[in-house]
Amino acid sequence: MSVAVGGALREAAPGRGAPRGARYFVRRFAQNRLATAGFVMFLVIVGLAVSAPWVAPVSPIKTDFTAYLQPSSMRHLFGTDELGRDVLSRVIFGARASLEAGIVSVAFAVAVGLPLGLAAGYYRGHLGDVLMRLTDAMLAFPPLILALAVAAVLGPGLGHAIIAIAVVLAPVFMRLTRAEVLQQREREYVEAVRAIGAWDRRIIWRHLLPNSLAPIVVQGSLNIAGAIITEATLSFLGLGTQPPTPSWGSMLNAAQQYLTQAPWLAFWPGIAIALTVFALNVAGDGLREIWDPRTR
Amino acid sequence: MRYGAAGALAAGLLGAPDLARAFAQGGGRRGGTLRAGLDADPPNLDPHRSTAAVDRQVYQSLYDKLVDTDADLKLVPMLVTSWSISPDGRTYTLKLRPGVQFHDGTPLNAQAVVYNFNRMRDPKFPSARKSEIAPVTEVVATDPVTVQIKLERPYSPLMYVLTDRAGMMVSPAAAEKDPLNFALHPVGSGPFSFVEKIPQDHITLKRNPNYWMKGLPYLDQVIFRPFADDNARVANLKSGDVDIINIVPAPQVKQLAQDSAKPAAPYRLSEHGAFQWQGIWLNVTKPPFDNKALRQALSATIDRNAIANVVLQGAAYPSYSFFPNGTPAYNPAWKIPLRNVGQAKERLQSGGHGSGFEFTLLTVQGQQAQAIAQAVQSMASDVGIQTKIQIIEFGQMLDVTDKLQHQAALLGWSGRPDPDFDIYPFVTQSGIGSFNDAGYTNPQVQTLLDAARVLQDMGQRRRAYDQVTQILADDMPYVWLYFPKEYKLFSTKVRGYVHVPDGMMRFHTVSLAS
Amino acid sequence: MIPVLFLVSVIIFALINLIPGDAARLFLGEEAPPEAVAALRHELGLDRPVYVQYLRWIGGMLHGDFGYSFKDHRPVLATVVEKIPVTGELTVASLLVGWAIAIPAGVIAAWRQRTVADYGASSAALAGLSIPNFWLGIMLIYLFAVHLRWLPASGWAPLTKDAVRNLRALIMPACVLGLALAAVVMRQLRSSMIEVLSADFVRTAKAKGLEGRVVVVRHALRNAVIPVITVMGIQMGTLLGGAVITETIFAVPGLGQLAVNSIYGRDYPMLEGVVLFSALAILLINLLVDIVYSLIDPRIKLAGGRS
Repeated sequence: MSVAVGGALREAAPGRGAPRGARYFVRRFAQNRLATAGFVMFLVIVGLAVSAPWVAPVSPIKTDFTAYLQPSSMRHLFGTDELGRDVLSRVIFGARASLEAGIVSVAFAVAVGLPLGLAAGYYRGHLGDVLMRLTDAMLAFPPLILALAVAAVLGPGLGHAIIAIAVVLAPVFMRLTRAEVLQQREREYVEAVRAIGAWDRRIIWRHLLPNSLAPIVVQGSLNIAGAIITEATLSFLGLGTQPPTPSWGSMLNAAQQYLTQAPWLAFWPGIAIALTVFALNVAGDGLREIWDPRTR
Repeated sequence: MRYGAAGALAAGLLGAPDLARAFAQGGGRRGGTLRAGLDADPPNLDPHRSTAAVDRQVYQSLYDKLVDTDADLKLVPMLVTSWSISPDGRTYTLKLRPGVQFHDGTPLNAQAVVYNFNRMRDPKFPSARKSEIAPVTEVVATDPVTVQIKLERPYSPLMYVLTDRAGMMVSPAAAEKDPLNFALHPVGSGPFSFVEKIPQDHITLKRNPNYWMKGLPYLDQVIFRPFADDNARVANLKSGDVDIINIVPAPQVKQLAQDSAKPAAPYRLSEHGAFQWQGIWLNVTKPPFDNKALRQALSATIDRNAIANVVLQGAAYPSYSFFPNGTPAYNPAWKIPLRNVGQAKERLQSGGHGSGFEFTLLTVQGQQAQAIAQAVQSMASDVGIQTKIQIIEFGQMLDVTDKLQHQAALLGWSGRPDPDFDIYPFVTQSGIGSFNDAGYTNPQVQTLLDAARVLQDMGQRRRAYDQVTQILADDMPYVWLYFPKEYKLFSTKVRGYVHVPDGMMRFHTVSLAS
Repeated sequence: MIPVLFLVSVIIFALINLIPGDAARLFLGEEAPPEAVAALRHELGLDRPVYVQYLRWIGGMLHGDFGYSFKDHRPVLATVVEKIPVTGELTVASLLVGWAIAIPAGVIAAWRQRTVADYGASSAALAGLSIPNFWLGIMLIYLFAVHLRWLPASGWAPLTKDAVRNLRALIMPACVLGLALAAVVMRQLRSSMIEVLSADFVRTAKAKGLEGRVVVVRHALRNAVIPVITVMGIQMGTLLGGAVITETIFAVPGLGQLAVNSIYGRDYPMLEGVVLFSALAILLINLLVDIVYSLIDPRIKLAGGRS
């Protein structure tokens, strides 16, 4: 049975064999110019976020009541917002919150979903069943509602939003891993290893896991993009980063009010989100192409 | 303002001044459906149980009140044609307008009024109006058109209280049929009667052909629609999908004012007075704001003009009291202090925190609240006061402030026509669950405000309120920030709309141009 | 499916009760005296222990009683049922818009792989995936409703009552949702088709001289569409749960808006009702998709097996 995950379909993969070397991977990836461009763009964005204090022209929280809602100028390349703060600086610093949310939430989701999925796939029987029921239940929730509910329980704040997103994503990875494991489980080399007498943990760790990783990485890269948008959505709804810390989503939320007066307030954060997500999607596509040779 | 018998009689004889004015404009075209956009979906159509401000918008059309306020916030007769107050201030005699009927045909006579008061005062009935009419001990019908209200002590705000939900009369027959679920089938005596309510979608009212204001209303139907999203609400008015909206988001005011000043503009922005107050509650029962000098320091760092003119772009007045511009107790001579960093630093020193301190400011979700909070944060940081902004959801905000668990909270009040309800419960009656979110007590303030409740003459009451304001300006349990200006945005097809500063939309005299 | 639904009910009930803030206090608003709050808590059954509340809720549901909204005391079931046609209509319209764009685009992109058409369509799809839909929604409102005045900003009327209004109000939200869907479906269709087109049997068919277009339409599409159906199914299920942001921005009175308002308004019974319904819809559709999938498994259709 195929596993449908977050809009991307992973068909149960027949033969893949042992993982190839890193060199091979890099070479294949670089052949795809678009994917490489996307990856580089993503690195640039990450770099900007990390070096924000040095790259941004001014502090993102410095107000200036004499220069509010101004369009682009030499002093403020992206204009100023309703409190006179420099939009360019806020967009650069905003990358931190968005990237942190995207990467950390997916990391959490994988950290929880992967082991649970491995367990559910390998140890069939009651444990697996219960876990799968739980996963099904969580996947039956409309995702945004679940994230909203969890965020409402925990309260506003970037950390809480990250947890909420992770809670929504974890079942996805769990199901994905389990499907992979179920696939791999039946293959001859597993039988062979078992016949030798190697015990379960070893099988899981050294054989099943590496072979199951590929779809997870692909899915993960695509989900980072989704997580960034979800964080933006949560901030848009008032959960997520707290003022005055800028995040692209909360900037969009505030910008709604000033759409006719100051459209640049909505434009730049929206572009930033679109570019980051675009870069991630393109890079993720490139990964998928390598690890899933049938979809060229 | 004197509520004495002579004045009331005169008011009763002349009839509601603003209605006369509207009539003089030549009446209006009969017919049409008015679509009104609200900022939220009114949860409860039972005025005796309602606690949400947005409900009141619908009530203006569904129910009549005993008395009403005109565009200058003066009392005018409605169901009551005249009233008199006994010399000791403890008995009010109200003369009712004869021949008024509820939408279901029940006569609105003295018995009906008594029924309504008893319903609100019934200990077994969960009415939110009880505290508003707390001093009332007994209500009797002395004849079919006369009602006497007896109070345990003089209470001058009473008539103004009766211009709001406590003065709205529901049909006894309908209320008897299903007391707790009356809200699902509301029956009043207003210009429009209830047709249907689809939650989150619309409320439809239709014309009351037997309305006692002869010839009114002009409209055939009124449809209320909720738009929680500010942008959507304004966009719908601009595109002509609704005809009037009740709350105009401050950041759009400047643009809308410019647009509506153009000759061919399809909509008009009306500004009339102010009614609400907004600011920051400082919890005086726990650190750091149990220290008066620190409260004063925070207040001194705030540039109220910047908040009103920059952050809110002129859609508010800077404030330094509980009485908005144009309300009866407003004192135009009262000066609003400018930002004074030097004084702030000096206050910090004498408070023992020369290098500043840290506190958490609770705010609700919403762009305006957050912009204000960030502005305050930025201003306060100039003297070393670190503000940590915590956004919490409205329900939680009420909960936390009720229990006095906060340090500071950005919270305001929707306002009332009588100054008493703009101040009394906020700086007295401290304790868990009260409106006094500072936990502030001051016997002097208590005495002055109690006296103001007893005095009948507004001039005297105003003096008492001035004194209280001066005390509060020193004690600073509440950092006043601004009074939002009262705006309404409506299509130019809407004629005869009278803009009352209490923010309530009244459609009695409204007609639609073809 | 029943055990899953049961788990869903437990999860949502637990989550709701964990949300901080007193529901009764919120309903009564800032003006409520403490006795009124206590009375309301009792009336709503909030003063009972949590497990009792849960059992009362479940017990009620088994009798068809889904409780009453805290906000306006209407039966939850009635309100949810009222919103279903709205969300349903938006779902259908969005899916139609999405598929009408995605299917031709996906087929063309796969057929003309690595040409300008392919790169163009694929980039457009990526852009569609990358643009936050609330941003797109707001931009569209101001462009089409305010400046051009071609379309209403909102003003939903039921299809049966005023079809013209209804359809006009439907266009923008359906496009916003449809564009995002189209991006996903198009990419999936493209990749599935490319996979199928490279399979042996297609080359064999081409070699045998069948016209190119016939090959594509009849064999490739039919086989490639299966994984796409799964994706479409997910999308349908998700949309039926209510497109929260889009409904809020366009003031569409559907389940998504109802759910969000219930979270903020602490309307526990309503939120529980909406979530259960959405979960049921998603589960049913997943089931349907799985059945369809197993009925037309590609391994049976392909002549000569897989390479």
